[in-house]
Amino acid sequence: MALSMKYLDSVIILAISFATAAICEVISWVLIYRTPSYKSLRSSIDRASRKLEVMKGASAGIPAVSSTKSSKVKKMDRLENSLKESSRDLSFAKFKSGGVVAIVLVIVFGLLNSLFEGKVVAKLPFSPIPFIQRMSHRGLLGDDPTDCAMVFLYFLCSVSIRSNLQKILGFAPPRNTAGPGLFSMPETKSR
Amino acid sequence: MRERGKASKQLADANGDAPSKSKLLDPASPLEKEELLDKLYWIRQAIGLFCGLLWGGIPLVGSFWIVVFVALSSATIYGYYTFTLKIDEEEFGGHGTLLQEGMFTSAMLFLLSWIIVYSILHF
Repeated sequence: MALSMKYLDSVIILAISFATAAICEVISWVLIYRTPSYKSLRSSIDRASRKLEVMKGASAGIPAVSSTKSSKVKKMDRLENSLKESSRDLSFAKFKSGGVVAIVLVIVFGLLNSLFEGKVVAKLPFSPIPFIQRMSHRGLLGDDPTDCAMVFLYFLCSVSIRSNLQKILGFAPPRNTAGPGLFSMPETKSR
Repeated sequence: MRERGKASKQLADANGDAPSKSKLLDPASPLEKEELLDKLYWIRQAIGLFCGLLWGGIPLVGSFWIVVFVALSSATIYGYYTFTLKIDEEEFGGHGTLLQEGMFTSAMLFLLSWIIVYSILHF
């Protein structure tokens, strides 16, 4: 199998996305992650969520009608409220670096757009649904749905590279701040 | 389970360091929820990257193979925590929490690697 130069642009976009993600994480580290306020917020969230998990597990074994359980539930409520407040403070603290990162991303996107506008940068091994084609075929001539525009590839790069880079570096947001997932069931508190 | 939970705090960082091979396959290794979710996350990413490289290299073409990837990835995760780790999923947030961990990022990584390998090797 010989390597083709026809879609080398896809590798260039991948490399630029990787570099951009690394730069964004450096900016975030400089502006927020290394600050004592972020570190203390993060550790308090981790501590509170662990404590909450332990209390939830412990309260499961207590009989339903019990003053002990009622006070436990109150403690859990307080802990959850404290967790929500810390998460809110954390989000606000990250807002500052988020603005700078957003500017960098806009600049990089503008640069990529000017370099690859109207160009087919890759070939899709599938025909995307019409909704996705708005992104994957943006700015391209012709009707071939398997032609891939820079926007779609850059989107894939951004999501996959940045998320994993944050995870590797330990900068991923705590899970409890992420909100309900796709398949999570609503929790019911027994009082 | 509590003793196991305390002991496991000495193990891998909850922020997501990739776990070693022995910890992945050892059902007796004590688990916290965070640690398990991190393991599942990295397994999903590895499956996404592997399938993307394989699908792109063969090549496999068509939306059907996206469905195959999702089924394969989910089945692997399910089989791992059910039959290899033998955990009680209710203690870790239920099937939904365990199956969705890292799914979106893994799917994006799968598509990215599939598209790039397919484009570079076959055109």
